[in-house]
Amino acid sequence: MTAVLGAATSTDMNTELSDEAAEYGRTALRAFEAAGGDELVQAAEREPEKRAGLIEPLLDEIGAWELDPRAGGDELEAAAALCRAAGWWALPYPLAERLCRPADGSTAGLVLAAGTGAGVGTGPAPAAAVAGAGQRWSTVTLDGRRGVATARPLAEGPRYGAFVAELDPEPVATSTGTGTGTEDGTADGRADAALALVLPCWTLLGMLDRALDLTRAHVLARQQFGQPLARFQGVQFQLTDAEVERVGVEELAKFALWSVQAGHGDAVEDALALRHAALEAADLVFRVTHQLHGAMGFCDETTLSWISRYSQPVRRHPLSLSATRDHLTRRIGRAGLSGPFAGPAGAAGAAARAGAGSAAGSGEEGQPR
Amino acid sequence: MGEGVATLRRELRQLVREHVPPDFLGAFTADPADLEVAQAFCRTLAERGLLCMAWPREFGGRESSPWEQMAVREEMWALHEPRGAQYMGVNWVGPTIMRHGTAEQQARHLPPISRGEVIWCQGFSEPEAGSDLASLRTTARRDGGGWRVTGQKVWTSYATMAQWCFLLARTSKGARRQQGLTVFLVPMSDPAIEVRPIASMIGPHHLNEVFFDELRVTEADVLGTVDEGWSLVQEVLAFERVGIARYARVERLLHEAPTALGDQWEKLPEELRGRWARMLVHARRARLLAYRVVALQASGRIRPDDSAAYRIAVTRLDQESAEVLMDIVAEASLPDEAGRRFRRAVADHRRYSVSATVASGSVEMQRILMARALLAAS
Ligand SMILES: Cc1cc2nc3c(=O)[nH]c(=O)nc-3n(C[C@H](O)[C@H](O)[C@H](O)COP(=O)(O)OP(=O)(O)OC[C@H]3O[C@@H](n4cnc5c(N)ncnc54)[C@H](O)[C@@H]3O)c2cc1C
Repeated sequence: MTAVLGAATSTDMNTELSDEAAEYGRTALRAFEAAGGDELVQAAEREPEKRAGLIEPLLDEIGAWELDPRAGGDELEAAAALCRAAGWWALPYPLAERLCRPADGSTAGLVLAAGTGAGVGTGPAPAAAVAGAGQRWSTVTLDGRRGVATARPLAEGPRYGAFVAELDPEPVATSTGTGTGTEDGTADGRADAALALVLPCWTLLGMLDRALDLTRAHVLARQQFGQPLARFQGVQFQLTDAEVERVGVEELAKFALWSVQAGHGDAVEDALALRHAALEAADLVFRVTHQLHGAMGFCDETTLSWISRYSQPVRRHPLSLSATRDHLTRRIGRAGLSGPFAGPAGAAGAAARAGAGSAAGSGEEGQPR
Repeated sequence: MGEGVATLRRELRQLVREHVPPDFLGAFTADPADLEVAQAFCRTLAERGLLCMAWPREFGGRESSPWEQMAVREEMWALHEPRGAQYMGVNWVGPTIMRHGTAEQQARHLPPISRGEVIWCQGFSEPEAGSDLASLRTTARRDGGGWRVTGQKVWTSYATMAQWCFLLARTSKGARRQQGLTVFLVPMSDPAIEVRPIASMIGPHHLNEVFFDELRVTEADVLGTVDEGWSLVQEVLAFERVGIARYARVERLLHEAPTALGDQWEKLPEELRGRWARMLVHARRARLLAYRVVALQASGRIRPDDSAAYRIAVTRLDQESAEVLMDIVAEASLPDEAGRRFRRAVADHRRYSVSATVASGSVEMQRILMARALLAAS
């Protein structure tokens, strides 16, 4: 998939994931379906304590634990495709977080911590839909500072809490005393932060895929005024606008994945850009898909209501839309995002033309600087 | 896309630096010198083989890849389209004549386009025929061996400066309104044609009305087959749909903003810088959606609705980014020449962006196209 997204040499302009990764995603989709499909999240909600036992053997079966997203290449792409498939079924499991667990197995997985500073109280406590899926979790801030945190017991049943647990950072000894993370973020840590942002967006993308697929089927089947809802232009236009959002997220998700894969210096910014677009898209997609389902969409017997409820954790944690925008804005400063027109004064802009020198070499083809 | 594209971008940027003044805002301003800049720039591109790169070798092109063509679209639009009106001849008039023209038409029309010497205009829309183009009324009535064309076109871009018109007129009444339409290639110098400029917010020399009063045309002026012009028009509109890389100007202006504002940038309301960042995300998104279309083009798998998502996203981006940029320049004082230039470029972007969702077919037509594909019973 590297070519169109940035590689400077390839002539193969394939924007898709590799065939292997795409095939793996399809296999996962079928495996989840065979194991119950939409029933999985309902069963987990009924008996929350059983959810790990319900899902983990399934993941075992499809070899999910052998994937190492940090290895990049096909494995990262396969992990992304897997997360997307999990989103389609609202798989009740912190898959993205678990896939990023440390190699030494010292914690259950990796969660992005919203704060940026090294100490306690520099941001909201980390939280994620990890309840019952592990006790200790690695954390990483956007600056790449690492730590470990312990999941609190669930305050609320999954019906309303969707398995979100808050995490208490463990004190960590550092050179200057006792803090809750290492003092300086490392490049590795930042790469992890990017990964921890990007993979959950692939899960959310799978949820958007599903919400729109369900809605498309609904407006074709549901008749009012003697015709399918799909005949009404007001319905069509809402659906197209939601679909534009969905395909936009798909493209940005591939781009951000490429950026992680390339070990790019801007990978965190690219991941934040993806998250920003994905959260905006989710807002519109769920509003539209609920609206077009009418009252039916709120009922437990409608899959949309499950997807909608279980999309909440990934949409609110680790960063809300506003927090995502704040972080992105602060981090890109004056430089903006990478791209063919990034660089001094937009590379080709007025200043360049006024003689500020050639900056055309930077950020070719949307390739990060 | 590779080194070739990177080199091409550098070459184009260098040429613009050398041949286009820094305060150029397009060929259609009140200053006639701007039109001359564009005309000269086209000749310069042509001399270097850069004007009609996408064309087949037999017509003097170099069969550049879809990715090189994309880079040209981006670079030119980002810098206020220094080719002026000629991009139309290059992008769709020439290619349509290659596919459907006679040997005589090809010999007559293609060389001047490829040398950068001729401006074409598109005579489709009429007062009664906008989105519903097939309802057009301009009529070519049989008259001996040829026809007499009478009627009115409107919103005809660049008609005052054009030498030729790609004209759609009704030649017969078919069972369907799409039947009985014919494309004529007509010289704007004919005294039976009258052009009246329309004053508008998008510049003094852009939109026009064009009146045809018993214009004499012959078989030699017909492009393709009589009564079957509709399919040609569909091809033309398809070329136009991916035609403008609007996101490129947006990205360029967004990236220029902090430089133009200098240390006033940090004094902007934080929320406004947040909106700026959001627009950068949306611009990247539109660019990636354009690349998705290009990839489909390159693989030969493209369908008419594939560019719809891009068109919807990019036209909205154009308008939203204009609002953000206008707010940014309003919050700053930009006293020096570079600052004034930036402010003018932003204002120009705002005025043009208003028409983004209407020009080349309103965005609702894209939504209809997309909905049709999305909701086709599977
Ligand atoms: C800058 C610019 C340059 C142009 N240059 C040229 C040119 O060179 N040559 C040329 O021939 N034409 C040109 N046009 C005309 C352009 O193609 C038309 O403006 C366009 O096709 C829309 O037609 P209209 O303006 O008559 O709007 P209308 O068809 O009257 O539509 C008005 C609005 O109604 C809505 N609408 C219409 N139909 C539907 C529907 N079926 N469903 C839902 N909503 C609908 C849309 O919101 C639409 O924007 C240009 C236009 C602009 C703005």
